[in-house]
Amino acid sequence: MNPSIKEVLESKGITVAEEHLPVLQARWEAVELLKKETNDASLADFDIALRNIPGGDHYGL
Amino acid sequence: MGYELVTKSVEELAPLLKNREISSKELTKTVLDHAEKNNEDINAYISFTRERAERVAEQVDRDIAAGDYKGMYHGIPMAVKDNLYFKDEVTTMASKIHRDFVSDYDATIIKKMKDAGVVFTGKLNMHEYAWGITNNNPHFGASRNPWNTRKIPGGSSGGSGAAIAADMSAATLGTDTAGSIRIPSSVCGIVGLKPTHGRVSKYGCFPLSWSLDHIGPMTKSVTDAAALLEVIAGYDTNDPTSMNVPVQSYTSQLTGDMKDITIGVNEDYFFKNVDAAVEASVRQSIQSLKDQGANIETVEMPSLRHAEYTELITILTEAAAIHHDNLVGRPDDFGDDIRLLFELGELPSAVDYLRAQQLRRQIKQEFQEVFKKVDALVMPTLPIIAPEIGEDYVDLNGEQVDLVNNIIRFTGPGNLTGLPSLTVPCGFKQEMPIGMQVMGNAFDESTILNVGHAIEKTNPLKGKKPELVR
Repeated sequence: MNPSIKEVLESKGITVAEEHLPVLQARWEAVELLKKETNDASLADFDIALRNIPGGDHYGL
Repeated sequence: MGYELVTKSVEELAPLLKNREISSKELTKTVLDHAEKNNEDINAYISFTRERAERVAEQVDRDIAAGDYKGMYHGIPMAVKDNLYFKDEVTTMASKIHRDFVSDYDATIIKKMKDAGVVFTGKLNMHEYAWGITNNNPHFGASRNPWNTRKIPGGSSGGSGAAIAADMSAATLGTDTAGSIRIPSSVCGIVGLKPTHGRVSKYGCFPLSWSLDHIGPMTKSVTDAAALLEVIAGYDTNDPTSMNVPVQSYTSQLTGDMKDITIGVNEDYFFKNVDAAVEASVRQSIQSLKDQGANIETVEMPSLRHAEYTELITILTEAAAIHHDNLVGRPDDFGDDIRLLFELGELPSAVDYLRAQQLRRQIKQEFQEVFKKVDALVMPTLPIIAPEIGEDYVDLNGEQVDLVNNIIRFTGPGNLTGLPSLTVPCGFKQEMPIGMQVMGNAFDESTILNVGHAIEKTNPLKGKKPELVR
């Protein structure tokens, strides 16, 4: 069973205004639609836009 | 000189100050008088700092008289967006929550500008916490577009765009996370530069989305933007995203020579679903670049179809992380629009965020491949013309489309990739300005500024001003 948007937010301690719920629902569905379109992307395991370089991000620069 | 003085660009004002044909005090007073008079209509300023500005301007005049001229921005009156920290002064982020926030240090960028002799005249309005593109602010009121005060000035640096277009500041800075320098610059008819991520320190700038945020110039001319970048760029150990790459003399490279320049045009993404008048203006400018000797090449960029999702997931989640505690503790103190966005940002999973960063790398790599073949990419800055204040939808060739999703469509990739992106005015539709965007390779601001200079030179509408402020 999928929890509702209201339940997800309330589980994080966030009080959602009732009038926000239909807008949130519509926007979240739009985000999920965009996500579906990324299913055909072939993601490379080593290519990610994050770094963690010991000694700080500027090490060796 | 009065009105004539406030309309001048920094490149026009600088020699007058240097040669002591005008004083900084006279210039500062004239700009402030004009700004205070027009603020009732435009609402570009949140606060004025006249007393301090006149005091600093007097000192500038003494320094210049003593032969200590520091450069093009010495003695120039400027207001800046109210999310940049000034030591011992209130910085509001145009919010209720930070309305009384006082920083105990200057942002690196503010310190650099103080060292260059800039005279600060006040703080500029913005979309609350920079999270929006309309500048319809519930706490400080909506900023208005000087070309048509019923229309938005764009955002989030809407007060900055409006202030330059209405000559209420000689130049300024914006911050840009999905287009917040380039959107208001485009709809207000001015020049806006988002430099490469890491080129300008963000230390002392309240974040919206750590990995997408940038700071850059918003000015009346490309030369003004190039000179301001020389002032604010440089490595800063206080900013973990700052990069130690040498700063160039950008102004000295503004030759306008297009002979050995290859310009890339991507038709599939950047010319799809574009307002017909915007497209015509941008294509005319591309032809003008070709006439000046540039080689035009079509490029393919299939990964861009994932740009909207990648930008959205990244900005939503990073912004929600920053504001999570206040969303839990005092949600009613946020404006309704950004509260909704913070709520939405709590919904994606960590897996969603990390997969978005994988997509982001793919998009970045595709741009890197393209920049092996071309020196710059050009496209419309926005696919639409600015709508009226309060509108959530906008006309696109006769169809009503979602404003927010469409206005950031062509600016978002510059934030995702961190690549430098410049907007310059290139036309008008129904008295509203149109901007053309130039994107370049990492840390190659010189090339895009030079392409922008070439567009600016041949723009037949250069020098046109909004009627309101005359």
